Parts: sequence; C-alpha cells; structure tokens
Amino acid sequence: MATILVVEDEFGITEVLQSALTDAGHNVVIAINGKQGLERLKEKGPDLVIMDFMMPVLDGPGMLRAMSDNPEYRHIPAILMSSLPESAVAEAASGMYAGFLRKPFVLRTAIEMVNRVLNGGRPPLDEPMRSPC
Amino acid sequence: MEMDQTDRFPKRVPSGVPGLDAVLRGGFLKAGIFIIQGSPGAGKTILANQICFHHAAGGGRALYVTLLAESHSRMLLHIGQLRFFDPDMIPSRIFLVGAFRVLEEDGLRGLLDLLRREVQSHEASILVLDGLVSVEETAGSPREYKKFIHELQAQAALADCTIFLLTGTPSSRIAVEHTMVDGVMQLQSELYGRRAERHFEVYKMRGTGYLRGQHSFRITDEGLVVYPRTEALLRLPTTHQPASGAPVETGLAMLDRMTGGGFPSHSTALLTGPPGIGKTTLGLHFLSQCDQDCPGLHFGFYETPEAISAKANALGLPLKDLIEQGQVEILWQPTTEGILDEACHRLLDAVRRRGVRRLFIDGLEGFERLTTDRERLGHIFAAFRNELSALGVTTVYTSEADLIGSVSRLPLSHLPLQGVSCIAEIILVMRYVELRAHLHRVLAVLKVRDSLIDPAFHRFTIRGTGITIDEDASGAEQILAEAAQQNHLRGPEVLRTGRARQN
Repeated sequence: MATILVVEDEFGITEVLQSALTDAGHNVVIAINGKQGLERLKEKGPDLVIMDFMMPVLDGPGMLRAMSDNPEYRHIPAILMSSLPESAVAEAASGMYAGFLRKPFVLRTAIEMVNRVLNGGRPPLDEPMRSPC
Repeated sequence: MEMDQTDRFPKRVPSGVPGLDAVLRGGFLKAGIFIIQGSPGAGKTILANQICFHHAAGGGRALYVTLLAESHSRMLLHIGQLRFFDPDMIPSRIFLVGAFRVLEEDGLRGLLDLLRREVQSHEASILVLDGLVSVEETAGSPREYKKFIHELQAQAALADCTIFLLTGTPSSRIAVEHTMVDGVMQLQSELYGRRAERHFEVYKMRGTGYLRGQHSFRITDEGLVVYPRTEALLRLPTTHQPASGAPVETGLAMLDRMTGGGFPSHSTALLTGPPGIGKTTLGLHFLSQCDQDCPGLHFGFYETPEAISAKANALGLPLKDLIEQGQVEILWQPTTEGILDEACHRLLDAVRRRGVRRLFIDGLEGFERLTTDRERLGHIFAAFRNELSALGVTTVYTSEADLIGSVSRLPLSHLPLQGVSCIAEIILVMRYVELRAHLHRVLAVLKVRDSLIDPAFHRFTIRGTGITIDEDASGAEQILAEAAQQNHLRGPEVLRTGRARQN
C-alpha cells in the first residue's frame, strides 16, 4: 500500500480517483491546488503525487519546481494530468514528471500508470526514483 | 468603466462572433459584467469560449473558471472540433480553472479571492465564470448573492477585466442578479412545428444601444454565427443613395418601351405571374445585360445553378459566359431547414462582396417559406428596397400568382398585390389567357415610378431565343376579346391547379 497525493482543482475527478485508488489498496490524500499540495507533502510524505497541470494559486509546473528545489521532495515521483496534449505541457514541466495522463482518461489506464510508476517504471529524469514501500 | 478619451464613448471588447457585434453595436463594454443565460445545450459554453479564443488571438488573456459545469477535458473535446479553437492558446493565453471545491470549502468569499488572484496572476482581461447557479445556491440569501455580484463588478472595474457569468434560464424573466450587471443576454431554442430554431436576445445592455428583439443564430463548425434581424439591422440604409442615373435596360427592347425607357436606376421591380409563365426567363434576360462594370446576381430558392445555366443555354442567352467571366453569380438558397435572416444576410453579403448592380431574386415565396413570422416580411422587403437602392442595385423580384386568376375576361383578378407599393416601384404582371385549346401568354406593366408607361397587355412567346413580346397590343386584344366571347357563351371558368392558396 502506498500513500498517494492527488492534487486537482476540478470537482469530480478527485473524488473518482480517490475512490478507485483506495479500492486498489492505497491511502489517498487530496489537495485542490499546488500550494495546498505542498502543505500535504509536508504533512503526509506521500510515495507518489498525481497532479493537474492547470490549477489556481499554484499550478502543476509550479508545484513540481517547488518539489524539485526541495531535497526532501525531489525524489517523490509525480504523474501529471492535463486536458492538453503532453507536447503542450512538456516544456513547462520538463524532466520533473514520471508519467502523463491525458484527460479524459479511463480509470484502468490511471491505475496501471500509478502501479508502473510506483514499481519503478519511468523515473524522473534528474533524480532516481525511490522504491515504493 | 473605461472611456475612450478621444470620443468619450466606453471602450468595447469585440466578441468575434459573426453578427453578434452588430447586435451589440461594436461589442461588450470593456470591464463590464455580463450574464449569458440559456437552457442546457443552448450554446453558452461555445459562445464564451469563442469570445475567449477571439480575445486571445488578438493578444489578450482569458481565464475560464468552472463551478459545477462540464469538465475541462469534456469541454475541450467538444470545442476542439470548432475552427476557432487553437490549442496553442492553452495555457499560454487561456487558462482553465476549476473552483467548485473552493466554493464548497471557503464559500463566496473564497471564490471571490480566488477569482481576484487568478485574474491578477494571469493578467486576464476576460473572465468567464461557468455555472453561476452554484454561487446562487451557496449564497444564504438573495442579499448575499447580490453582494457577490456587486463585488465581482468592482473587481471587473479595478482589474480592467470583462466578466461573463454563464447560467441557466431563470424561472422569471427578471432575476435578482440582472439588476446588478451591465448586460443580460439569453440563448434559447424554440420549436416551430417539428423544426427548431435558435434565438439570441439581449435583455439589457447598459450604456449603449443594441438591436432589440430575437436574433437567429446557428452553431456551425466555425462556432456561433448570429444573424441580426434584417429589418432592425437595415432600419436605415447603411449608405447614402447614389444619384439616379439613366434607366436600366430590362434585356427586352419591347419591355423597355412598355416601361417608358427601362427600369429607373436603383429601383425594385416586382414581376408576378403563375407557374411556368416565364418569370425566371425574363430574369435571365435582365441578367444577360451584365458586364464587368455592372455585375449581376441570381438569388433563387428553387433551381440549382446548373439548372439555371442549362436553361439560359437552351434559350441562347449568354449567361454561362457571364458566369464564367465572373460577371454574374448564381446563388441557390434551398428552403429546407433555412433561417430567414441567414438567407437575407447571404443575399446582402453577395451583393456587397461583388458590388452587384443587377439583382434577380426568384422569388418572394422563398422568404415566406423560411420565416416563422410572416408579419416580418413586409418590413424586411421594405428595408431591402431602401438598402439595395442605396447600394445602387436595380432589383427584380418574382412573385408567384395563382392560376386561379386566369379567368380570361379578368386577367388581373386574384393578384395578391396589396401592400407591394412599399417594396416595389415597378409592377409587371404576366398572365395566361385560355382560348379554346391554347394557353396564351400576356404581359402588362402596371406601374413604373415617375415614368410614362404603355399600360396595355402585350402578348409574348417563349421560344429558342427566349422571350419575344409583340410590338403592340393588337395580338393580346384579339385573344382577350375572343376569350371574353367564349366565356360569355360558357360562363366563368377557371383552371384547376390542385394547389391550395396559401393565406
């Protein structure tokens, strides 16, 4: 079982992800923007972060940069979600995420990606990924 | 509200929606707050996105905030199919934010703070809040809701940001929030029989004139296209009428003589007659006089451009060459699923685009089939006459008359000509006269403005070279006299067409 932080501003997606990941045996923590996401990181120390690209207050790339700048968090892998194609978000978040989910996605794809990243699938480019618990 | 210091008029934000800025007299007031309401599927989200993308294409920035509305991915999936959508604009110039959770957790104050911060951080000059009903539901009282709108209005002014609030149709025409905002507009769909037509209506717009009433719109691959009410758009001609010139040749020398030298320049002629009498053929003669300096347009509801071209060829008229040389254009406007103001817009656009001088419209009934409100037609045709005249166009309309009027003693009977004076300065009548086994054709000029006309019936024929009109009235007189004698012996008789008169 891993602790997963879901950072998403859109109502609905967070709830469904939370239920599905809980059913898959994970402990899920949620935040509604990048700023709140950073607070949850400190409180919960998650094994994986799933975050939206566009969010109010602090967006996905902003949160990724803050994680990357902090030695405590830079090892935590992140999956980026967006309604935009990966090519549109890659530059802003370059080298800071381990997986990309294009919305709308089906739950099976999301769960598979979560498992793959937790099992050491695509690691972050600048830092080796920590093994799941 | 920001004023233009040079002319003291508030600055505008163009919508980029074809036709809408004409309704709004230039666009939305800059830094104003507007409610766009309508039932689900009415097109609110498309309209708001179209405004955002147009604004972004011009270098502006827009923030699209959703509450309990369509998810961003679903919304992008849908608007991604429309031509105004440019993926490069997101997130560089258009930013999407979900705020329902903030509303749930932090209430109206939290939402206001979020909107203010996001507008500021993204330097957005347009803000869309999609799902205003959630705000109303969260507000504990109408007073709290009005306070929210009031504060948002203050934000709009201080941030120089134009705000659009999207919501459903309220149960009453006037809702509490309507009193607080700068403008209210509604999108709706109405059924006419089994056919549905979309309407756009501005209920309120502070500080500016606008075209009142319901305007038709379509949702096309280009996004929304609004067709302002033609009679409102052309309330006054858009240009000054040019000085009258020499009369315009009709294309038939004999008809020129009958009309006292041709049609007065920039005039409108109404050509009425039963089916098959030769109205379209006369129109083709009229258009065959077109040249480079005098472009023509055939705007018809019934025959395709190919059929028109073939007909002209069969009559030996040079229309095909004129079409190929670009001197005549043929536009076909089927009456299936059409919208009256869309057809009017298409017609006027084609006239202006090519500087048309000779216009043949075949015929008035096509507009009648498209309309959901026949009362409008008289106003529209009167507006057409004024506008076309101002544009220097000489126009010929056809109007179909019933065969029932073909009683040989009374060739002008049953003509539905009441009220046409306001739409036509010239009236031509074509009739059949039944004489034994033959149907003869006769033509008369009833009226030509400020001209000495030959008011007699003339017989005419249609053969390989088109229409040939008798030099004088003797042929028609002989036929009508014989027909009168025949009818005197047999009593009144009418041709039965099986077609009911439409009243």
